[in-house]
Amino acid sequence: MSLLLRLAALAAIAAFLFFATPLRAQSASPDSLSAPAFREVVDETGRTVHVPQPVRRIVSLAPSMTETVYALGLQDRLVGDTDYCDYPPDAQTKTKVGGGINPSLEKIASLHPDLVLVTKAFNLPETVHSLEGLGISSYATDPHTVHDIITSTKKVADLLGVPDAGAVVGDEMQHRLDQLQHQLATLPPRQVLFVVWTQPLISVGRSTFIADALLRAGAVSIVDSSQDWPHVSLEEVAHLQPDYLVFADSHSETVPAQVDALATLPAWRILSAVANRRFAVISDAVNRPAPRIVSAIEELAKQLHPEAFVEKPSDAKEKMVKQNFSQSTKPFQDFAFIKQNQPLVTHKTVGECACAL
Amino acid sequence: MRPLTLRRLLLQCLLLTVLLFFVVVVALKFGAVPVSLYALARDLLRVIFGQSSQISSDYGLIIQNIRLPRIILGIIVGASLSVAGTSFQALLRNPLADPYVLGVSSGAALGAILGLIAEPHLTLAPAFAGLLTPLCAFLGAAATIAAVYFLGRREGQIDSTTLLLGGVITASFLSALIMFLMSIVTSSNTRGMAFWLMGNLSTSFQKSVYWFLAAGFFVASGAIYTTANDLNLLLAGEKEAMHLGVDVRRVRLVVYVAASFLTGLAVSVSGAVGYVGLIVPHIMRFIFGSDHRTLLPTAALGGAIAVVVADTLARTVVAPNEIAVGAVTAIVGAPLFIYLLRRRLA
Repeated sequence: MSLLLRLAALAAIAAFLFFATPLRAQSASPDSLSAPAFREVVDETGRTVHVPQPVRRIVSLAPSMTETVYALGLQDRLVGDTDYCDYPPDAQTKTKVGGGINPSLEKIASLHPDLVLVTKAFNLPETVHSLEGLGISSYATDPHTVHDIITSTKKVADLLGVPDAGAVVGDEMQHRLDQLQHQLATLPPRQVLFVVWTQPLISVGRSTFIADALLRAGAVSIVDSSQDWPHVSLEEVAHLQPDYLVFADSHSETVPAQVDALATLPAWRILSAVANRRFAVISDAVNRPAPRIVSAIEELAKQLHPEAFVEKPSDAKEKMVKQNFSQSTKPFQDFAFIKQNQPLVTHKTVGECACAL
Repeated sequence: MRPLTLRRLLLQCLLLTVLLFFVVVVALKFGAVPVSLYALARDLLRVIFGQSSQISSDYGLIIQNIRLPRIILGIIVGASLSVAGTSFQALLRNPLADPYVLGVSSGAALGAILGLIAEPHLTLAPAFAGLLTPLCAFLGAAATIAAVYFLGRREGQIDSTTLLLGGVITASFLSALIMFLMSIVTSSNTRGMAFWLMGNLSTSFQKSVYWFLAAGFFVASGAIYTTANDLNLLLAGEKEAMHLGVDVRRVRLVVYVAASFLTGLAVSVSGAVGYVGLIVPHIMRFIFGSDHRTLLPTAALGGAIAVVVADTLARTVVAPNEIAVGAVTAIVGAPLFIYLLRRRLA
């Protein structure tokens, strides 16, 4: 009986192997036949990729790429994204292909994408190779500064056939950053500790776009590591005594309790930023190399340098409020700032641009 | 076996205590932030004489609030793991037995990760928030040792080979569960969990936790020490021990519960620091002989020394960054174990 079963299993495997190979070849060939126009580009990991033109069906394997696609107004061409893609909320309704590290190749293939968007930090090279084997084009970005994010966005926009939308989004980001730089020009930067994880303490290294984003917000990370996600010694932090701790959290309301908990621990209590509850909470958009990062940078700048944004000193409560900024700052600020807290408006504007094209 | 004299026991312990003291001073001296020996001595004296309020310098605070608690944690973790390893090896009469081989660490890690996943969904008082993970780790360790013990029973008897194999299989099963959890959890940061799996001593706790750990260590190792003579007789075999008047069932129960408790204690605050429970007892047996009346205390001191040294390396090698202490003990421990094994065979 068990021998029979084993034989049957073996036969099934053999049959599968026999049919699987030609099937793969078949599934690859119609794509190459039906898409006559190809564009050859070098992506940000130095890989030469052939991208069918025009790109009608996109799968995004990183939250930042999903946000970029939405920012460019191309959400209708997005046919799949990952479990982690939660912004804008509409992205959650797209077909899910799994996580960034372990997406389902079958699911991706079944969506017949013209292009899969990946990032070097969030995805694995193995995924890209497997996609290549399936005849699916993929394009990877690898931004290490905020400026890189702007450049990447423009390049992706160009590849997707909407260079004008890319220029609008990129220029808007640049304009807001310039404006911020102007406002912060005379202020000395704050020394901050960007907290990725508390126990053990993990922060960000110097060659990450997050470290650059901190600089743009008028802050300097006290951690200067060549690793991207260094496990930092608390001793070193206690020695350098950051002015502020910076948390990036989608659940910002839990952070004050988290800091209260840290303040009960002997090792953390000796940080004056913890003892005096000096911390900033910004949107987790700062963790994503997408256009929305500018809003996170502005949020942080406002919490660290309130004097640059309001004439009267703002009270501590106001610093914690994330989403309601637009009302409180409206009277003082020019239109560029009103916009920043309404990222959806930005998307809409760009979307209209793209439609008009 | 040479007859035990109090003098020999005290001499051996004194020797290791002096060594431990020396290691602690070195560990206090070195770290990401340089501290002079003079400042160190001055601040330590102030701590000892209860004048810690006079310590105002950054360095003093760093030593008092970060380095010293961490070293104390290392001492307790090392001593606990080593005593647990010694007891398991004696009880199972198997040189491979150690808390990690028996799957206890994986159980604790799974508990901790479940705690980390649950934490954001619960509203906890700040004072308790940091304790949820260690508590879950402890429960995980306790549940695992119970399950492994059950797996190792054959016809009402503990079969040491079955028990070890059961432990190995349980460990790999639990590791698979951990991998599964880590790949389906999207909200939390898995980086913290990964570091937890590797074992590290950088976690800071409230003062009361250190007292609890120390008390737990002394109670559990004290219980094991009362069976030291019986463990010696057990080396000859369970039947032989029984003929010599050893209450094997009682010894087994006491040692199992106490050694599992020690393991849970260690793993719940440090994660998976491997090889300490395996290697240190072997080294101590090699140097001081296998009389458990001296082996248990020397193993405790030896384990403390090993972990404090390993953690000092973990703190300083890539300072101001850190590596996990579990990585250090594994890198040093695995080749050392193979060396000891070959030597024994030769």
